[in-house]
Amino acid sequence: MLLARALRAAAALRPLPPRLPPAPLLRRPAALLCDARPFTRSLWLLRGGAAGTQRPGLLRPPRASPAGVSCGCGGLHTEGDKAFAEFLIDEIKEEKKIQKHKSLPKMSGGWELEVHGTEAKLLRKIAGERITVTFNINNSIPPTFDEEPQEGQKADEQEPELTSTPNFVVEVTKDDPKQTLVLDCHYPEDEIGHGEEEESDIFSIREVSFQPTGESDWKDTNYTLSTDSLDWALYDHLMDFLADRGVDNTFADELIELSTALEHQEYIRFLEDLKSFVKCQ
Amino acid sequence: MSLVIRNLQKVIPLRRIPLRRRIEILQKILHVQQFDLGIICVSNRNIQLLNSTYRQQNVPTDVLSFPFHENLKAGELPQPSLRDEYNLGDVFLGVEYIYQQCQENGEDYYSILTVTAAHGLCHLLGYRHNTEAEWEQMYQKEKQILEELNGITGANLQPLTKNHF
Repeated sequence: MLLARALRAAAALRPLPPRLPPAPLLRRPAALLCDARPFTRSLWLLRGGAAGTQRPGLLRPPRASPAGVSCGCGGLHTEGDKAFAEFLIDEIKEEKKIQKHKSLPKMSGGWELEVHGTEAKLLRKIAGERITVTFNINNSIPPTFDEEPQEGQKADEQEPELTSTPNFVVEVTKDDPKQTLVLDCHYPEDEIGHGEEEESDIFSIREVSFQPTGESDWKDTNYTLSTDSLDWALYDHLMDFLADRGVDNTFADELIELSTALEHQEYIRFLEDLKSFVKCQ
Repeated sequence: MSLVIRNLQKVIPLRRIPLRRRIEILQKILHVQQFDLGIICVSNRNIQLLNSTYRQQNVPTDVLSFPFHENLKAGELPQPSLRDEYNLGDVFLGVEYIYQQCQENGEDYYSILTVTAAHGLCHLLGYRHNTEAEWEQMYQKEKQILEELNGITGANLQPLTKNHF
């Protein structure tokens, strides 16, 4: 894949972020949450039949584990799984409650959006050029730094909003010559939402390279321009080049909103899959 | 040595090269092209915060200068002894504020950005406008460098402090 290099590099740069439980869960004792759910319990009662006797089933393991019981799925079901599923139900409910966008927000500027799992592509055509912006929401939430609550402030007011700031790759393709210019862009690391006097650009270009149109595999023999020690005038030309194609600070800001919404959507979907897996629905 | 432009705001679109070209000419006119210079473009909110923090004025403004060499006399060039001292400092341009002013006055945005950057650059070189005498000195310097810039680019830029006193 053309983008694999940049996206892999991005994943390597950032450690896996800690996922914070939603604020309400932190404040409620677990016992209260379990007591409030007859639904989960009744589901478990279903499996034993009226007299509570077990009948042999083809899919059931021959012996129940001492740690748990099993249902028709052939999988193991423990008390831990039950508590896990209950936790997930509550987590999903809370996450849905704080979900800002029920559908993904639209980018201004006539970008078309394609989503394939955790990868999203924004596409736009200007004159004879095709512009594609690709990002992946995996590992896109930078780590948050714990700060002591100010006196008089409640702990929940300190709860930071999770923001997804993925690296994104801009590909500009011209029909003639048949080449694609690939610009690897990043948001500043460790600085999202910290301090008001940061002096980093909203996004920066890290690397620039050419890729022959139609070639999907990245070749190490292709020259890659790193912007670390680049002449600032050349860098500004590259930034203006992107701005002329609709990739500017406004775009970068909207992309954060889109990526955050997609990340949250995928997170909820994952929790639902996890709940189904654990509960064996 | 380096002119670094940062754009920290998303409110007003900004093309860096038109701004860079004009500031580079100003650096040459002022004979300070061997010094590092930062031009940081910020929103109203950001410049208001800086204005409040460093000048105790809780309002947005057009420009704030943070000189690296703080005790320069007006018109005096810094005399660095170390490589790290080849630095003039940073000019924060309140581009949102400047844009709004341009809209109100029917002025060209990039022209006023240049004029404002020239004003900030003069501050980095020790010019002040706290008294009428200081202002006169600063006004004359701004006028001189903008006239030279006008000669090169064909523009017709006037000093920011024209009607200050």
